[in-house]
Amino acid sequence: MILVPVTYKGGIYQHDEIIDLIEDLGGYIIQKHIIATEVVLQALVPKEDIELIQRIGKPLTGELTPSPLVGTEIAVVSMSLEIHHLPHASCDLAEYIRRFGAKTNMVGLARGFGKRIAQLNDEERDVINEHDLAVYLLGNFETCIEQKFGVLRRGIDIPIVVCGGPSRESLQEIIDPPVDGYVGNVGRFMHRTKESEELDKLEEVVGEITRVLDRRREDLAKDPLSISPARLMDIINEKVDAIHEVLSPTPITVQMAGLRVKLPYDQYARILKDLVIEEDVTIGDIVDIRPSRMRDYILLKVRPFSETNIMV
Amino acid sequence: MASIEYFEVECPEETGGRYYQRIADVVLLDHNLIRVIQKIHFFIDPRVPIFVAVGITRKMPGPVRLRDFSDVSIQDDKVTISIGDETYLAKLLKSLWDIFGKERVEQPDRFTIVISASTDETKDLEDLVVDDPSLSIYKDLIYALQVIQPEGFKVRRQHYGDGRFYLVASEDTLPEDIDDLVREKFALLEESP
Repeated sequence: MILVPVTYKGGIYQHDEIIDLIEDLGGYIIQKHIIATEVVLQALVPKEDIELIQRIGKPLTGELTPSPLVGTEIAVVSMSLEIHHLPHASCDLAEYIRRFGAKTNMVGLARGFGKRIAQLNDEERDVINEHDLAVYLLGNFETCIEQKFGVLRRGIDIPIVVCGGPSRESLQEIIDPPVDGYVGNVGRFMHRTKESEELDKLEEVVGEITRVLDRRREDLAKDPLSISPARLMDIINEKVDAIHEVLSPTPITVQMAGLRVKLPYDQYARILKDLVIEEDVTIGDIVDIRPSRMRDYILLKVRPFSETNIMV
Repeated sequence: MASIEYFEVECPEETGGRYYQRIADVVLLDHNLIRVIQKIHFFIDPRVPIFVAVGITRKMPGPVRLRDFSDVSIQDDKVTISIGDETYLAKLLKSLWDIFGKERVEQPDRFTIVISASTDETKDLEDLVVDDPSLSIYKDLIYALQVIQPEGFKVRRQHYGDGRFYLVASEDTLPEDIDDLVREKFALLEESP
């Protein structure tokens, strides 16, 4: 069964039916928002059942759109959280990526500004590395990007998409070793992105992210995970009651190869580790459980089949 | 609305310069400074790195005095001020409290202030300076330039006077010949029609 990421938008009336339907078909609800009288569901659904969900959702004014980034967590790395980089450049982009289903976190570097003085500290590095992909929003000058980017990428082992003022070709030329994606002509700016060409640029960023993540998905498919992160989320939701007390919008954030569980590590790591998935397989057998550098959350990284020899 | 007569961004990197032109334009517009500035020239060299902004302001409006926005009538030991424009009311009250003390300044309604004071004390009251927009414009101008400049440039020097202003910034110590550079850029402004 191939699961595809989609967004369902529809009226609040009888939306439970859609949720039940997706779950019965073997899909997973990643996130549910209720905005006034509208429900937005981000879900992974079986490819062959999309038409069925559309048919059942139609009387409920439901609409199903593909959202390539559902089930991913993306770090939008801004050089600072000063007025120079906020709100427009960083927030507009982070918000736009979110529309395609990704969970974006803004990482504002403490000392990311400047050419010579730019730095990345260990906490920032570790936090960025906890994501599926990092989008670096750099400035307008080639000279600066060329000099500082080496420092800002040190120790980052997840795919990177670089956005900067110079053209895409210039970025490719000055960044060595190459990164996974480039988007030119998106540097520092001080106005809202509302003109069509600016929106096209944001679209281009999303396109580049999708391309990079698709490649990562292909790599993952070669050595599949021992359990799908969405299924793992379902099991934790079902068996750990404390997760329903968490007030965060996504108590469990689904990543491509893991989960971020927003419960304190000290109290819950052991409980999660011993949780039974199926018969005698526990989470601890197929997942690495680590403390996250983000607050005191728990980070779960699913091990591939080649390591565990278990597939559930 | 009057626009800026001379607005240039000089930068060895063409693309970067173009972006900064847009940034400067947006920031000055957002801070309502377009009317204040007559000429402005930016020089940015990311290789040094250095940021220089020099400019000439238009003639600033003078200080706002009490008689400009209100009517003052003095009768024996009682002064009645009728306010025409509420914009300066808060600042006026503060100055009056400083001069006469709160117990002698009364405000029976929104547009009237009554002061109990001798004629000696109140004879120059009409000339009281309530607000000086040029002071706040200076602060606004420097703030806007700080927003425009690249963020990492923490070493700064700024000056304002006689209708001219400049701000230089860098992330390293400012070079010794910085005054020459500023003079050079001012010369460009003066040459332009």
